[in-house]
Amino acid sequence: MIHHIVRKEFADMIRDGRFRWSAILVGSLLLVSLAHGWVQARKASQEHAAAQATAREHWETQGEKNPHSAAHYGVYAFKPRLALSFVDEGVDPFTGTSVWLEAHRQNDFLLRPAQDVTAAQRIGALTAAQVLQHLVPLLIILLTFGAFASERERGTLRQLVATGVGWRELALGKALGASGALALLLVPAAVAGATALVVANPGPTASPVARGAVLAGAYLAYFVVFLALSLAVSARARSSRTALVFLLAVWVVNGLVAPRVAVDLSKRVYATPSAFEFARTVEREMADGVEDIAPPDRAESTQRLLAEYGVERVEDLPINAVGVYLQESEEFSNRIFDRNYGALWDAFRRQGILQEVLAAAAPSIAVRTLSMGLAGTDVEQHRHFAEAAETYRRDLMRQMNGDMTENSLTGDFSYAAGAELWESVPPLEYEAPPLGWVLGNRILSLAVLGAWLAGAVLLASAQVRRAEVA
Amino acid sequence: MTARTVLKNEWRLLMADRPLKIALGLFVVLLGYALTNGVVWLRFQERTVEATTSGNVERASALRQELEAIEAGGQPSSPFADPRSPRVLGGPSGSHTAVLAPGPLTALAIGQSDLLPYYYDVNIYTNEASFHQNGEVENPLNLMVGRFDLAFAVVYLLPLLVLALSFNVLSEEREQGTLALTLSQPVSARSVVTVKLAFRALVVAAIVLGVSLLGALATGGFGSPGRILLWSVTAVAYALFWFALAAWVNALGRSSAWNATVLVGAWLVLVVVLPAAINAAAGLLHPLPSRVEMVTAQREASNDAVNRRSELLARYLEDHPEMADGVVADEPGLGALSWAATDAVNGRLEEVAAEHDARRAEQTALVRRYRFLSPALLAQEALLDAAGTGDARFADFQSQVRAFAERWREFFVPAIMADEQMNAGVLADVPTFSLVDGDSADLARRATAPLAVLAGLLALIGAAAGVGLGRVRGAD
Repeated sequence: MIHHIVRKEFADMIRDGRFRWSAILVGSLLLVSLAHGWVQARKASQEHAAAQATAREHWETQGEKNPHSAAHYGVYAFKPRLALSFVDEGVDPFTGTSVWLEAHRQNDFLLRPAQDVTAAQRIGALTAAQVLQHLVPLLIILLTFGAFASERERGTLRQLVATGVGWRELALGKALGASGALALLLVPAAVAGATALVVANPGPTASPVARGAVLAGAYLAYFVVFLALSLAVSARARSSRTALVFLLAVWVVNGLVAPRVAVDLSKRVYATPSAFEFARTVEREMADGVEDIAPPDRAESTQRLLAEYGVERVEDLPINAVGVYLQESEEFSNRIFDRNYGALWDAFRRQGILQEVLAAAAPSIAVRTLSMGLAGTDVEQHRHFAEAAETYRRDLMRQMNGDMTENSLTGDFSYAAGAELWESVPPLEYEAPPLGWVLGNRILSLAVLGAWLAGAVLLASAQVRRAEVA
Repeated sequence: MTARTVLKNEWRLLMADRPLKIALGLFVVLLGYALTNGVVWLRFQERTVEATTSGNVERASALRQELEAIEAGGQPSSPFADPRSPRVLGGPSGSHTAVLAPGPLTALAIGQSDLLPYYYDVNIYTNEASFHQNGEVENPLNLMVGRFDLAFAVVYLLPLLVLALSFNVLSEEREQGTLALTLSQPVSARSVVTVKLAFRALVVAAIVLGVSLLGALATGGFGSPGRILLWSVTAVAYALFWFALAAWVNALGRSSAWNATVLVGAWLVLVVVLPAAINAAAGLLHPLPSRVEMVTAQREASNDAVNRRSELLARYLEDHPEMADGVVADEPGLGALSWAATDAVNGRLEEVAAEHDARRAEQTALVRRYRFLSPALLAQEALLDAAGTGDARFADFQSQVRAFAERWREFFVPAIMADEQMNAGVLADVPTFSLVDGDSADLARRATAPLAVLAGLLALIGAAAGVGLGRVRGAD
């Protein structure tokens, strides 16, 4: 029996001109956005790789100079694009793309692509993720809002029930029929996406294919939520019009209103300092220290060095004391940076968590969070790279100061190191976090999406069981 | 049957329609929430602006005190930060913060103000690279999602309210069988629909303008009546566009369900799909020049300049004067030598930036043409411009800061080149930044095109609706 229902539903949808046109529109938008994302990601990836290579070349060919001058010269790090970023560019346009790693300072990532485009371009980017998160659910609603309500209006529901088909079978049949119609546009897109993923330079993602598979699973769960909700509403609603209006209202709240309301709410609960305050606090703490972090005492360091080497005067030290001072000041400022940037990142994380919690009111937030996480374009993975770059900077500074300490004497300002030292510094090699790390960050969203899935399916079965035939 | 009868009936009907009342109430609540978000953000920016202004005053008075103390025979607090040196007085420690006060109606539209920098520290080292700043500290996630402000509510949600109020303005009468009765009176379908929609438009406009004016009142936006006018005209014209569209669809004589589907589809296409598709097309057809390549170009520019600079010592001392304690004092001519290198770097940076900016301007101009395809984009542009949080005001601010940095350099660099010292007397003449906000003529000029197109669309669809309604007969 059930395959009759599936076949009938499927055939109905394929024949329906409204569905055909909207499916063609959504399907082509999906393919175009995938292609667009892929081209952009590939271009950006190549640019970043080239820029990173040039930055390395600049570093190696900077000529002879004092290691500390080299430390000031520093090196640029460019954030790599992960393989799946073509599906969901996530926060990438709003985080900087490059950071200057130099002596004494932890710099911010600069050059946010969004700063280069107009306000109009900011409000709607066409990415595959946007199509999947917003347009596909809308298509599901259009497909299924009349599943029960229209049949009831036409009086065919009574006949159908009279044939002895169970409510469960009926609901399942309608769900499968709609899924079949949707599969016509989603399967080609998934195949295209998977092909692009394999063909594309996978970038520094650990396990892009596994990430892609989980990503597909998350979206599938999200679609099932909408399918079940839509069937539940259709079974319950008095008329197909009421069902449509209600479901559209759900769609607007889910995709448009809730995410923005959540942003402002999370900002109010977990406030972040202004850029001005932040810079001022760092400046003040760098000058005077804070709590248990005291600025290095140069006289004390000198005494310690003199005692260690058993000499009377700084000039007699077999090392360059300035290198030691510089490294001590690095260690001190690193603690100040860790304290301030750590607090800022944590505030961002809390804002994100609050928004994940609010996904209880709008599943789009949960699927958005998972999608960005798996694509490698969420705030956490930006932080992951930022911290890798900062660790690299600190190692670089330690190496420069160490070389200066060991190979020159205090007061010797003519010491210059060369290409040998620059080349001995390993290049920045970034390894993206593995799938387990990403999912570990996203347990909350997984749970909320799971709850939506279970809740929507239960609701659908309850509503269908209780549905009235006329 | 007069217009007054129709209006009175409409009011009764509205009051009796519970779902509609709930929708209106919800809309008012959302607008209120949007407005408070805007006000919170405005206050946040105002605090920063205040802090930068008092920072300017504090820095200047500290320098004055130190200079006066030195003139009275005292010693500079550090031999490497001697404020008499023009490189110190005009350098980072003496810098002046140029700040863009929040747009007069920021509380109504946060716009680009959470993304673009609104203050820059200007000193002699300010160059093109100084404009690569992040602006306010903000969670990238929040920047991506966007804020829930009044402009968002107007552009995205207002059309939905309008459509909910008017999708069945005529079809319902037909479905209930009252249309024939109504049209048996000496009125035309056109005038019935016009009056009904005018009533709804009044309700919607009263809500939107009421909340907007409240926002302006609460935040002192009344100082710029031109902006409030532009805001109000845009919001009303945009709402009317959707009313006209609903009237037109109603004139086609189909069922209420059909009207609802078509109108929601139109909203989806014009507000959600089209802007996204336009952005994708713009990105593909007119790709932005890469900032990444610009970083490399900048780096090479400064390498060239630095490589031409002679001694390692000079470079080293410049990086770390404090490390040279007792080794070398400030050598005569060092300032000039170092400035020459700085200037060479700046020159190259300007070339690189100019090339990039030219390509970017070209791309933006092309992309901006496409906005005429979507009334939502037109309305958004005009609303942000009215609020003073659109791209234009920030671009204008940046060019004013550029000019100010030039004035700053002209003040200090001659003294650097001549190796002169400065004194407290010059402090009064040090340039200060004061923003020249574009006048209302500028604003009007920028708003003309989007508003004209919006009005054109409105007239076109209104005319189509008028013609269509003229054909409606009660017996249909």
